Formats: sequence, structure tokens, C-alpha cells
Amino acid sequence: MGAVTAGLAGCLTRENGGNGDGDGDGDGQLEIASYTSFVEGNFEDAPSPAEWLTEAFEDEYPDTELKWTVPENGINRYVRDAKQGNEIGPDVYLGLNVDDLVRIDETFGGQLFDPIDRDELENVDRVRDDIDFGDPDDRVIPYDTGYISLVYDESAVETPKTLDQLLESEYESEFVVQNAQRSDPGRAFLLWTIDMYGEDGYLEYWEDLQANDTLIGDSWTDTYYGPYDNEERSVIVSYSTDQVFYAGGDLTRHQVAFLDGKGYENHEGMAVFADSGNAELAHEFMDFALTGEAQAAIAEKNVQFPAVADEHVDLGEDFYDHALEPDESITFTYDELEGNLSGWVDEWGRTIAQ
Amino acid sequence: MSGGNWLERHALGLAAALTAGALVVMLYFPIGVVFANAAFVEGVPTLEPVRDVLTDPFYVGSLAAVFENPLAIGSHIGALADWIGSSSISPTVVTPLPGIDLPLPWLSIQTPGFRGGLFGFTAYQATLSTVASVALALPAAAILANYEFRGRRTIRSLTILPFVLPGIMVAVGFYAMFGQAGTLNSLLGLVGLGPVPFMQFSPLVIVILAHAFYNAPLIARITVAAWESIDTRTVDTARSLGASRRRAFRDVVVPQLLPAVLTGALLTFVFTFMTFPIVLALGGLELATVEVWIYDRMRQLEYAEAATLALLETVLSLALTYVYLRYESAQTGLARVDARTAREPLFPDVRTALSPRRLAIGCYGVIALVVFVGPMASLVVGSVTDASGFTLGHFSFLLERQLDGAAFQTRPFPAIRNSLLFGVGTLALAVPMGVVVSVLTARAGWSGTIVETLAMVPLAVSGVVVGIGLLQGLVFGIELPYGWQFEVTGPVAIVVAHAVAAYPFVTRNVSPLLSNLDPTVVESARALGASRIRALLDIELPLIASGIVAGAAFAFAISIGEFSSTVILAGGTDAYTMPVALERYLGRRSGPAIAMGTILLFVTASSFVVIDRVGGRFER
Repeated sequence: MGAVTAGLAGCLTRENGGNGDGDGDGDGQLEIASYTSFVEGNFEDAPSPAEWLTEAFEDEYPDTELKWTVPENGINRYVRDAKQGNEIGPDVYLGLNVDDLVRIDETFGGQLFDPIDRDELENVDRVRDDIDFGDPDDRVIPYDTGYISLVYDESAVETPKTLDQLLESEYESEFVVQNAQRSDPGRAFLLWTIDMYGEDGYLEYWEDLQANDTLIGDSWTDTYYGPYDNEERSVIVSYSTDQVFYAGGDLTRHQVAFLDGKGYENHEGMAVFADSGNAELAHEFMDFALTGEAQAAIAEKNVQFPAVADEHVDLGEDFYDHALEPDESITFTYDELEGNLSGWVDEWGRTIAQ
Repeated sequence: MSGGNWLERHALGLAAALTAGALVVMLYFPIGVVFANAAFVEGVPTLEPVRDVLTDPFYVGSLAAVFENPLAIGSHIGALADWIGSSSISPTVVTPLPGIDLPLPWLSIQTPGFRGGLFGFTAYQATLSTVASVALALPAAAILANYEFRGRRTIRSLTILPFVLPGIMVAVGFYAMFGQAGTLNSLLGLVGLGPVPFMQFSPLVIVILAHAFYNAPLIARITVAAWESIDTRTVDTARSLGASRRRAFRDVVVPQLLPAVLTGALLTFVFTFMTFPIVLALGGLELATVEVWIYDRMRQLEYAEAATLALLETVLSLALTYVYLRYESAQTGLARVDARTAREPLFPDVRTALSPRRLAIGCYGVIALVVFVGPMASLVVGSVTDASGFTLGHFSFLLERQLDGAAFQTRPFPAIRNSLLFGVGTLALAVPMGVVVSVLTARAGWSGTIVETLAMVPLAVSGVVVGIGLLQGLVFGIELPYGWQFEVTGPVAIVVAHAVAAYPFVTRNVSPLLSNLDPTVVESARALGASRIRALLDIELPLIASGIVAGAAFAFAISIGEFSSTVILAGGTDAYTMPVALERYLGRRSGPAIAMGTILLFVTASSFVVIDRVGGRFER
């Protein structure tokens, strides 16, 4: 009965010791896990970052093959697998930020990623000095960076200049921000308020935001596609590269505001899974991602900023016409987040959901 | 004794065993793995996680004090009395629509110091959503069952279309319909009104309306199926015996409809109790429900807390289901002949069309257009527009992806094909499963009720629990002796998982109709020597065909809309479906995902019409 159904649905296999996941000599297939927009892209007539990288890398290393996979729930999938002692399929995870790293270490005692072997990376010195995950175990190589800022409709509201201004009547029922439990920009904005008002003051600020009828929605896509695109709200927490997607059109609703001249900087990085049998090829891939050509392609196609210093990447001037950078940036380091992040987010969630 | 005979005598038992097997593998085992986290800490049985949740005012509000010290009954009663004494209910007048001076009476309830916590709020919004859904569903059911008009069958088959839409598409559809730049305000603008900020009036009302968008069609569909199986001759008999039209309706029709309406209400309550993406997307985190915290705790890998919350959610849903099923099983019907439904033409002539009843129907039609058709139509419009006006760019993105996409990317056509294949497979599996459960539990007394309650578990378990359970248990394989591994992944596993999620809908559509049947009909057939399966196929099924067709449509819809198990069981393979593809196309611009959502709508709508036409052949 159960066995019959199971026989139909599942399969019995016998362990044969490993799954032929590369023999560690740098040839063969490299499996990379990443997030949807990196793999699928969003533009007509333009390859996604993953498509571009695959073609260029396979040209450079003819005996290799890149395979991309998009796990449900992102990195959490692999933290769960590792915790259960399951084998992790992919070799590389591309799309880590420092919050992820802290959360991985808070929830999983073991080693999900191996430390980077910096001697294997020729191009690693090109990375901007200020882009540093501050990871005590040195597991992550950055491949791009971006700024969380406000995007607003200049025909509906004045340019917001400070966090405090968002509590004024000008922005009543106008502001929408994402859920810090689940959304990267939402968490970045929460951390920004903690930076500004301190651990003791940030919850009060959020209560005031609620009193001003701020919508605390869910994911970036929910909030942007829904209330912002449909003009229900005129100020949203988003990325400072917003205009790139609307260049050539009407930019009235795509104005970028840097509060106090600042943006919250979010570095994105890649790391090699500890159980990968393909660390050498993984390092070759990461080194390739830091070449000038790849950095320009990632920046343009992923619509973020390069991780390497300006002299190592050639992005046309017009890239910066619509991809805007703040004068100053705020970011929390690994040390500052460690032991604090989940507590801050939990307290915040309980305050909002009261 | 021939093999055929043996099979015939044991057909029901075999089908029941297969159903039980599928449930054990794809449901009870995975959720057991997750729920164990609520009862065991490091392998040791404990009540600690349950205690932690029940004594946390954030979760259970004022009841935390009760659970903190459950034996201090005297002081709890005293606190309750004080609280009732200080509460008050007073009639007031509110003007709910900003900008429009329309005063409405309202009951203002003052309950000082009482906090419902997350569970309290979740139950509160689910109750309101259920009431709103029933209120919007009953007129639709009455019209579809009693009036004849062009397109009636098509509308009937399309009623549950909202059911397949992913949460984000519903949210986008609502903003595109009711937002300040939305379709409704554009229409109001044509006659010089607005814009009215509908979405800002009250987040809770918007969430409830979105829940009704999902669930009212479900209640309507179940009720129509029941209404169509009522023999109108019983009404005629009552009338000929002197009952007024109203009296005949109350005494003959209502008792036969009530199980269906209550079934729909129960399902709505259970679903909206476990609501998740909709409530956050439209209402925000302020309206967080228990399910939101289950997801968050799972994300933080706080399995004990997550499992406890999910377990309590399931226990509450099942308790309610049990109470309802006790009621349902106490009903004994009298229906023993094929139903004949006589429908009046909706608009036979101008005179009739202007009667108050027809005008009320017209008004309801406008409301239904706004609430149900509006958000979906606005999505379709969104798929062919961008900031600069009309565009086919979003569809050309999908076409390009289909033609030139890399091997690791998601292509639209396989998603459509897989969705249809899984949908048909699910229908073929879930309909017999659902009917078997209905037949075996009908009139089996309280033991039948318990079995049927357990059979409803798929509806009462949070999607994240099933998903994580599959991952922890089956997807990675269970170690068996001698180095063998048992794994469950791939297309067949997806179909079985969908069928497990879908068959309760078949059961819930069929059971109320079965309980309306006169039991002596089957007993006579059995006395004349018919096997149980013969009696079922030849006598009962034809009488309840409308419920089976409705159940089949639900099964298909559940399969098309299912996300959490599909994405896990498909893994990195090409077994992705339309909702999975839609999710993968979510990027910085909404166009490609909305275009995929539009394809999902059209493919599903066409399928519903086909299912209804094919199924209709069996309905007399």
C-alpha cells in the first residue's frame, strides 16, 4: 500500500560513494547557486548576468561547464541541509551579504563555507579597500555593491532629506518600506534606523513611522509592483540604481533621495561550499568574476556597482548618469551585527505586529 | 470465484489503502518530522516549546496569564467577570469612505485591557473574512443555480479562477484595480468622481476583501453544486401542499444547502486562518498572522517555536473541522432520485428585467465585476502596458526566453506543459481518493468523523511545514539498511503531493451531497446483490455528479496553484510549473512576471471550461 505509492513516487538507490561532482583538478562542471534575477535577468534583448558569465567563462576555460541553480529560500536551503548533514549540491553560492553570513553563523555551528584561498586569486587585490565583509573566517569575495536609498515621486512629495522628515505630515500615508524579517532592503533600512537612533531609540522611531501611516509591506517586489507602481505610495525604500530601468522615459517617479547624503551600502559576495570537491575551479571562477570585463558586465546586467576599484573596470560615463552613488555610506560590519542582528529584527517585528 | 469478482469486492478497500499510503508518505510522515520539533528537544519528550508559546502574551494575548497558571480557576473567573463588566457595546455612526459623506451604523465594542495576541488577531480577521466571503458568495450561488442566461455555464466553470493566482499577483491586481492610479479610479474619473483612496481606507478591510476574492468563489462553487443536486420536485411538492414560496425555500431548500454553505465557510476560515502572503502584501506587518511568524521562525531555524506555532494552528483548524463534521454526519437526506433543476430565464423581457429582484441581481453583478473580475482584468492590462503605454515587450521577453534561454533558465512553455500534465494527473488521482474517503466516512458515526477529520489534515497544515518536512525527510532520502536510500522527487512525486493537497476538496464537495442521499437507496441495491463499488458507481455517483465535477475542478486548480511542495520536489530539474516560473521572473521590473501571470490565467481558464464541458456529460 504505502510501498506501492512510494514505489511510484520515489526511487530506491544505493550509495556509490560520491556523486561524481568533479575530481578536484579544476576541470569539469561548476555548480553555482544564486538568486532569481541574477540567473533569469529582467531585460529584453540582454543576457542575464549568469548567462553572460557562463558564456565568457566557458570561452576562457574551454573544458568547463557552469551550471546555475536557484534554491527556494536562498541560502537558508543550504544551512538546513548542512545542519542535517545532507550533501550540498552546488560548489559556489553567489549572492551573500554580511547579514546572511551572521545569520548562518548564529543558526549553524559548523562550517558551511571554506575560507578563501587568496593565493589562488590574482585579481583579489583589485577589490575596493572599503568593501570588506569583516568576516573573521574570510569566506567571502565581493563581486558587486549597491546602495539602499529612497526612491520617490517628485510630483507628489518634496525630496525627503532626513529620516526624521519621514515622520512629518508631508509623508503621511506616502511611505512604504519592506519587511526586515524577509527582505534585504527592508533589513538595510532597519539597520540604518538603528545606526541613527541607537538600540534604545529605533523602536520608538518605527512606532512614529507607523503613526504616520507608513506601510510596512513584505518583499521588495510586493512593495514596488504593488503600492509604488500603482501610485498608492510616493516614497519607497529601494536601490539607488532605480533610474537605470527607466532611462529614456519619464523619471518623475524615479527620483533617488539620499537621506543626509547617505545610502546604506550592501556588498554582495560569493563563497565556496566546504563540501565542494571543486574548490580549485571555484577559485578560478571567482577570480574571473573580478576581471575588468566581468566586473563591467555584472555591474551593468545586475544593475549594481563594481566591487573593484575604478581603475580596474571600464564602465562608460553614461552608466553613472542613472546609477547614482551617495556621498557617504553606512554599513554594519560582521562584528557589529554578530550576536545582535536576530535580536534587533525580532524586537522590531514584535513591536510592529502588536 | 473469478479474479474480477475479487477485485470488485475489494475495490473500495484497495483504493482506501492506496489513499492511506499516499497520505502517509507525502503528508503524515513529512509533517510528523516537523511537528516532532514541538514535542522533542534533542530527542527528549518535553512540553517546554508548547508552554513557551502559550505563556507568551505576544502569541496568545491575555490568555497567557491563564496558561501561566492554569489551575488558578477562581482568579481567572474573577478577571473575566471584571473584564465583561468593564466592556461595552454601543451603536455609533461611522463614515467609512474618505471623501464621501456616507454615514453607516456601526457597533462600537470597547474591551479595555483585553489582548488577543497573534492567535487572537488571526482568528478575528479569519472570522471577518469568512463572513464577508459567505455574504459575497451566496448571491452568486443563487443566481448561477436558479437562472438561465447566456454564458452561465462558462461563468460557473470560471468561478474558482482566483484560486490559482499566486499571492503576489492578487496583491498587484488589487493595487492595479483599487489604487489611486488604478482601473476603478480611472472609471470613476470618466464620470467626474474621485480619485478615491480605496486602499488607504482600512488595510484590514482590503485584506478581508482580498480573502473574499479568493474564497467567495470557492463557497459559491460548492453551494452551486449542492443547489443543482436539489430535486426541485421536492419544492413543488411542498408548494402543492400549500407552503408559500418562502416557506418551501426555508423548509426544503435551506436544509439541503446548509451543509455546503457551512463547508465553504469552514474551508474559508481554515484558509484565512493560515493566510500569509496576501496579508503582508496588502495589509503590512501590522496585520501579521500566526503564519507570518511560522515563516520567520523557520527562517531563523527556530524549529521548536515554528513547529509549535504550526501545530497549534493545525489543532485549532482540525478542532473546528471536527465540530463541523459532527454536524454534517448528523444530517440524513431524503434525496433518492436524479435532480431536476428548473431555471428561470434571467432577463426574459424588459418588464421582468426592471423588477426589484432583477435589479438587485444587476447590482450584485456590478459588485462581482468590481471585486472579482476587476483585479484579474487589471493584471491582464498590466501585462501589456508599461510607463509609456501599450507594449508587447513583456511577452516578447517570455518568447525570447523560450527560444534563446540558457539551459539553466526557466522557459515558459515547459512550465505550461508541466502545469497541465500535473493538473490532469492530480485530477485523475484526487477524484477517486476524495470519493473513497467520502464514501467510507459517510454515516460511519463518530469514528467516521474522526477519520474524515484526519483526512482533512492537508488543508489544516501550513504549507511551509509540508515543504520543510519533505526536505527533511524524503527529498534527501531516508537511510535504509544495507546502504539503500529511499528518495522521493520528480514529476510523479509532485503529482502525488498535489493529489494529497487536492483530494480534501473532492471530499468536501462530495460528502455534503452524499449525506443528502437517502441511505435506503444503496441498501436496497446491496440487498439485491450489488457489490459496494457497483452500488457506488451505478447509483450514488450519478446522483452526486455535480459535486464530483466541482471537486475535479478544485483538484485541478489546487495542482495549478500549488507552490511550496512543487518547488522543493522539482529541485533543480525541469519539472517547474507556471507559478514557479512566475516567481523566477520576479525582477526589478514587474512586466515579465505579470505577463507570466496572464498566461497562467488564460491557460487555467481554458482548462476549467474544458473540465466543465467534459464533466457536464456525466451530469445528466
